[in-house]
Amino acid sequence: MTFSIPSNPLPRYLLQIADDQLVMGHRNSEWTGLGPILEEDIAFSSIAQDQVGHSLAFYEILHQTYGLDNPDQTAFNRPENGMLSSWLVEQTIGDYAFSLVRHWCYDQAVALRYESLAQIQDSNLQALAIKLRGEVKYHTFHAQTWMKSLLQGSEESRLRMLSALKEVWPLALGMFEAWPGETDLMREPGSQGHPWYPGEKNLQDLWQTRALESLASWGVEVEALGLQRMEPVLGGRQGYHSEHLAPLLEEMTAVFRLDPQAEW
Amino acid sequence: MPILSLDPRVNRLQAEEVPADQAPVLVPGDHWPSYQVFHQRRRGEKHSSVGIVHAPSLEIAMAMAKEQFARRGETSNLWVVCTADVLEMDYADEDVFRTTPAKSYRDPAGYKVNDKIEAYKAQQTTLR
Amino acid sequence: MYGGGYVPAGADEPKASAESPELLAQFEARIARGEKIEPRDWMPAAYRKQLIRMIEQHAHSEIIGALPEGTWITRAPGFRRKLALMAKVQDEVGHAQLLYSAAETLGKSREDMLNDLINGKSKYSNVFNYPAETWADVAVIGFLIDAAAIVNQVANSKGSYGPYCRALERICYEESFHLKQGHSVFVWLATGTTMQREMLQSALNRWWEPIMHFFGPSDTMSQHTETLMRWKVKMASNDVMRQQFLNMYVPKIWELGLSLPDPELRKDESTGQWLFTEPNWDTFFQVINGNGPCNRERLAVRKVAEERGAWVRAALRRADARYATPLA
Repeated sequence: MTFSIPSNPLPRYLLQIADDQLVMGHRNSEWTGLGPILEEDIAFSSIAQDQVGHSLAFYEILHQTYGLDNPDQTAFNRPENGMLSSWLVEQTIGDYAFSLVRHWCYDQAVALRYESLAQIQDSNLQALAIKLRGEVKYHTFHAQTWMKSLLQGSEESRLRMLSALKEVWPLALGMFEAWPGETDLMREPGSQGHPWYPGEKNLQDLWQTRALESLASWGVEVEALGLQRMEPVLGGRQGYHSEHLAPLLEEMTAVFRLDPQAEW
Repeated sequence: MPILSLDPRVNRLQAEEVPADQAPVLVPGDHWPSYQVFHQRRRGEKHSSVGIVHAPSLEIAMAMAKEQFARRGETSNLWVVCTADVLEMDYADEDVFRTTPAKSYRDPAGYKVNDKIEAYKAQQTTLR
Repeated sequence: MYGGGYVPAGADEPKASAESPELLAQFEARIARGEKIEPRDWMPAAYRKQLIRMIEQHAHSEIIGALPEGTWITRAPGFRRKLALMAKVQDEVGHAQLLYSAAETLGKSREDMLNDLINGKSKYSNVFNYPAETWADVAVIGFLIDAAAIVNQVANSKGSYGPYCRALERICYEESFHLKQGHSVFVWLATGTTMQREMLQSALNRWWEPIMHFFGPSDTMSQHTETLMRWKVKMASNDVMRQQFLNMYVPKIWELGLSLPDPELRKDESTGQWLFTEPNWDTFFQVINGNGPCNRERLAVRKVAEERGAWVRAALRRADARYATPLA
């Protein structure tokens, strides 16, 4: 299988979003049937389905407008170094604390991305961003509810969540890795006249400010955790991945690759 | 020894076989109390009782109700209330309602005037 | 989904109760009139016990049933199948939730039910003690086992216990999506490449005996069975349901040119009855009593899921929480 990463900034950016959503949704779907309580199992599965659905929507646009292969081929028949997802989303599910903290960090970032994408001039993309933004509103509400509840629940839950936070944070920072074409995209005017895409540094600043505020409001001593001193884990946006993505892709594409041209 | 499965997801769990003398895994109350859920399909319609969720609080009960009872079809609103707050009538007292359908004086159908009107008209015609 | 299916009765079957004959007569008259029994109605102890057992096992069948197909979520080929399977397995968990809730109205707690599942005391539909070896197994399970479950559920939805009927109404509605989805995967494989067709035929060959076991052996018309039918707990005989299933679905298998591993299987046009080789019931009892390929795995996974989630549940459990038997 060969794959050319789009050289134009916008399709490349959309591909990054799509790949993140696909891998995140795939990971989150691993909790179906194994969640901490039936009701939460059901909720988390909806989030996973939304995410896979979002990735499909972006791959569909990439196919229709930017000449990429159809979504099934693009997602299920790509080499590892053609994937532009972050290291954050490819990590294994770990325990529920890890998955919840990741979910919170991830969906807060997605909300910001969709918010900015909703200012793009292209009417199709704008409409899509607005539609998807509505679903993410539930994701972030869900994440915040659980973050707060478990940070303030028991001593054990607090410790588990803090431990997960330290593990997730550097990976989360990696979502905002600089990528080729970023500065070009930042010059594109949006529907309101000014540029719609603030760039990764600005997105990260906004994300981090909000995250730290929320954590503080939930009684977390962010200074003591050293979150602000942590370094990002990079590589994903350049197609360079941790040891977790290859097995994930292997599993995800196992049946499809029995015959990529067959109809399933 | 963890169980080996054809399912890679299960293998990642490293689950051990349940021993023959397995003690109860869940303590009483482990799965939280129940909340009754009421669902409104569209504005203007009534909320109906659709089931329960187990939750630790009203807020989380609401989040769960959205997932379990609004995943399909139309929903415009939900209520959740702690089961412990609901006072149920005893079915043994159902007999207090037995005579209600026969209280025709409370019912529109209990007031028939047409016969009286027709009789009066007929009488008036006769008198003339 | 996964409609309970047949689970053999335990040794301690309820005997005729020595309870008030007057109340029993009223109870039976209500059922005979086609009215429902609600949670706080007087009911014979045997009725309560039997219903708890039946609904609980149905619930366990759903949560355990989520595992063989859940295996394939991460490997579903393509977006359409991936999303559909995620939604379907999510529904199974949802059905388990609805059914545990219905059983809870009768006074057994969810915790007790799950403990009894994990320690092996409570059973679930035997069909889930088998592995889903290939993607085609998902097609067979999603089409034929869902179909069998629907036959069971539709019958039970006309039963006497209000909460169970209401839960089944909701479940039957969602099942119609499952059946369509399962049939779709089945048809695509059957009409696809040689490799796909062979994968499907192989899965059919492997699953046919467990499917034939699904409705259980012919009912012995005991006093017990007769009482359960009068109380509208058991709604149709195993044989009647099995015939319904064969009549509706064997033609759908054969129309695709697929075969079934039973040379005797055919419809007797003069009687309208399907003839088949009696499945091996010894195998069935061996498997349901713990010696199937996946029994240990299913319960181990359930146990691990409950244990690993314990800290989450404990963290939010409040000392002042107010518990009450649910209304459903």
